[in-house]
Amino acid sequence: MGDSKSEVLQGTLDLMVLQTLEAMGPQHGYGIARRIEQVSEDVLQLNQGTIYASLLRLQQRRWISASWGVSDNNRKAKFYAITKAGRRQLAAETENWQRIAGVIGRLLRLAGQ
Amino acid sequence: MRTWLAVWLSRARGLVQSRRLDDEFRREIASHLDALTADHIRRGMTPDEARRTAIVRFGGAMQVMEENREHRSLPLVETTVQDVRYTLRALRKYPAFSVVAIATLAIGIGAGTAVFSFVHAVLLRPLPYAQPQQLVRIYETNPLRNWTKSTSAPANWADWKTRNQAFTDVAAYEQFNPIGSGANDIFLTGFGEPQGLKTVAVSGNLFSILGTPPLVGRVFTDDETYEGKGRVVILSYGLWQSAFGADPQIVGKTITLSGRGYDVVGVMPRSFFFPGRDVQLWTPLGYTRERIAQQRRPHFLGTIARMKPDVRIEQARADMTGIARQLEAQYPDTNTQMGVRLEFLHDTFASESRTALLMLSAAVALLFLIVCANIANLQLGRAVSRSRELAIRRALGAARARLLRQLFTESMVLSLLGGIFGVGLAFLTQSALTRYAASAVPLFAEVTIDRTVLLFAVAISLGAPMLFGIIPALMSSKSGPVTERAESSPREARTLRNVLVAAEVALSIVLAVGAALLIRSLAFLQDVDPGFNQEQTIAFTMTLPNARYAEASARFNAFREIERRLKEQPGVQGVGGTSTLALRGFTWTGDTSFEGRGTTDFERDTRHGSTTLDYFSAMGIRRLAGRWFAETDTRQTPQVTIVNETFARRYYRGLPLDQVVGKRVAFGRPQDNAPWVEIVGVVADEKQDGLDKPAEPTVYSSIGQRQQNPLTFVVRGTQPADAMIAMARRVIAEVDKDLALTNVTTLKQVVEGSMEGHRFRTTLLGTFAGIALFLAALGIYGVLAYFVSQRSRELGIRLALGAKPSELFRLVVGQGMRPVAAGAMIGIVGAVGLTGLMQSLLFGVKPFDLPTYAAATATLALIALVACALPAVRATKVDPLVALREE
Repeated sequence: MGDSKSEVLQGTLDLMVLQTLEAMGPQHGYGIARRIEQVSEDVLQLNQGTIYASLLRLQQRRWISASWGVSDNNRKAKFYAITKAGRRQLAAETENWQRIAGVIGRLLRLAGQ
Repeated sequence: MRTWLAVWLSRARGLVQSRRLDDEFRREIASHLDALTADHIRRGMTPDEARRTAIVRFGGAMQVMEENREHRSLPLVETTVQDVRYTLRALRKYPAFSVVAIATLAIGIGAGTAVFSFVHAVLLRPLPYAQPQQLVRIYETNPLRNWTKSTSAPANWADWKTRNQAFTDVAAYEQFNPIGSGANDIFLTGFGEPQGLKTVAVSGNLFSILGTPPLVGRVFTDDETYEGKGRVVILSYGLWQSAFGADPQIVGKTITLSGRGYDVVGVMPRSFFFPGRDVQLWTPLGYTRERIAQQRRPHFLGTIARMKPDVRIEQARADMTGIARQLEAQYPDTNTQMGVRLEFLHDTFASESRTALLMLSAAVALLFLIVCANIANLQLGRAVSRSRELAIRRALGAARARLLRQLFTESMVLSLLGGIFGVGLAFLTQSALTRYAASAVPLFAEVTIDRTVLLFAVAISLGAPMLFGIIPALMSSKSGPVTERAESSPREARTLRNVLVAAEVALSIVLAVGAALLIRSLAFLQDVDPGFNQEQTIAFTMTLPNARYAEASARFNAFREIERRLKEQPGVQGVGGTSTLALRGFTWTGDTSFEGRGTTDFERDTRHGSTTLDYFSAMGIRRLAGRWFAETDTRQTPQVTIVNETFARRYYRGLPLDQVVGKRVAFGRPQDNAPWVEIVGVVADEKQDGLDKPAEPTVYSSIGQRQQNPLTFVVRGTQPADAMIAMARRVIAEVDKDLALTNVTTLKQVVEGSMEGHRFRTTLLGTFAGIALFLAALGIYGVLAYFVSQRSRELGIRLALGAKPSELFRLVVGQGMRPVAAGAMIGIVGAVGLTGLMQSLLFGVKPFDLPTYAAATATLALIALVACALPAVRATKVDPLVALREE
């Protein structure tokens, strides 16, 4: 199954979902998927279904909450919102991410020289 | 940490709300797809195209759902629940298999639980005393008198008490009968009907040695052992409830016992007993210190002691043996070769039934193995017919581990269902068994299905699938995909099934031989002549309270009057009284000297009894020589005695019985100068300690010459027992309304009662053996029936080619009997090894009794043949055409 790879992806996706919800407020699954695709300027083409695994994970950890509502085009949809714990997690993860990105960036630069 | 907890909570919730969450998620996906489709339409796609693209973009809705399902709850639990559901469905689908398997398991688990409840009550549950493992029972031993477990002499007890180093203290209680239950000579009056109580007189320190705190009040003090301080009693919980309505103010009140006032000082808790559960009341011994110090000859005290915390029983033994030596040197007259024997108190209490219980435990363990073998066999049989289903499941992608788990779950479900019914069975049989086993189980034990017993039932229910489930699961999950490998795997299964059948046969032979040995013992026992006529006779014990019948003559007259009035009643054919009823042990023993023997030559341990004039004729005890007692044998005339046959034959070897009449003996040693007593008659032996034990040399005296109180009366008559008992009560109330009858029974019940232990063991083992044989037959039948159905084509061809039906019959029976023969041989070897252990439970047969072995084997062979014959007959009826078309 390529566990290590998917784990990185999982974590990344979780982080993206949290950031999206933080930035845009409550969203349904489709909205989140769209938003991630738009932001990545379609570099990231994900199977939109995979977003739900991430949503379940985040919900179980109580980083996001969910409730049924009505979408813009008058459909019933499940809306997700970031929680207080989610914000804390997002802050921590963002910092973590930037640190790792920095380290990797430096490493790669060193290797390139 | 908190996050982790939140995840588990959420998953647990997911487990419960599985269906709702499924629905919800499906709707969510649907709305997502709708939104995506709408988006694509906005970008100019046709609805169909838009829909298709949306589905592709979303990517495998089913997979997403599956993944969601897996992660939102606990997959292990969920699949187990699934497996259990599936199993229940499968069990419903094959009701015959399910009913047989569950019933078989219920029997195995139920029998195991029932037997364990006895073992637990008698051998395992700690006694209700403080640190019971420090309590020991002390016996006296004497090779000169064949004593291995004698009660103790009071003076010896007093010396042990002061001289020992090993004990915190040594206590004593009066033990007049070998069972150790209470005497019956105290009557409670003033609370309705006079009530005979089971009481035990104890030394004051007994309760503090046992260490059980009283429920109300206090226990005795050491000082209260002795005369003068001894007018105090302690009540059992049961008596406190029944006679005094659980009066909380009972302590300090005075109650009347046999005409004397006693102060109640305490009530013991419900769980307390000593020495038997039947004892209702404890009084102090009430002897003077001087009298205790003098009595070194009579042995009538039970003695127990508490070892100091750091003392082990070996040290206590050494200490006591040293004291016994000192006493031997000091009092050669009484203590020559007098030794001691120490046992843990629990062992003493349980000793009677230990062998029987271990035998039953072993039997039930064998039965349990047979049950497991049988279930394994059934499952193997089913596995073959299920191989298609399993092959399909593997083809559809089920991993072998997953199938194994499924199969094992099935075993577990079967076993737990069997366990539930088994415990139900144990509960149902419990009361019947305990009533039946009243005297087969020691008096102290209270048999209940409590938490420990239930835990045991759960443990064996969970353990059974390890025995019967693993191998069939491994075998059947092995079958490869689709092709089923029809050849190899069933053959393997068949070999295994034959091995299982052989094992079942071997185990059942062991049980059958054991049961047959006990049945033969019981048959021998029932044929034993008890020495008296047990028909149409009631018996009851009468105690005259010493307070109101102080004079010996008053007691004698009262007994005479009772006897006379009973005789006058219509339908009464004979009335007599005795100090010790047959099969009730003995009252006391003493030395006997013989006229004409040397001055140092005497016999020890002659049993003594006192009877009324007509006792022997009322009992139907045959006179072999001489005369009965007569009115003229009184205190004023020379003492005479009637001896039993064993006495006459053992001590006057070779002399004809009518020449024993006229000989003279003395009740004591030659130097005691006891008066000579003439033997005036010889009577046939009446059994004393049990039908399986020979009578001991016994001398009888007339109550006219040797007073006894209490007396046990026997009344023989034409009326039914109930009517005779009512009549006796009425007659005795006329003589003295404060007298009560105790131990009311019939001679038939006395005889039956003496065999109760035997019968209990025999019935239980017989039932186990019967079930075992039936299960073995079921196993044989199952394997063979399958064999025939598998080979019906071959059999059909053989028939078509001219084989005679009788040949096919022989072929099939031969096939079936092969594992039976192998199993039987192994079983017989096993039986020879195991039945030797039950020697002490047998009567009249040796453990290696050839006819018994032959009978057990023949029974099994017969049952096996029947089990083989049914499928064999079917084999001969195979229609060749049908068999060939079946392909």
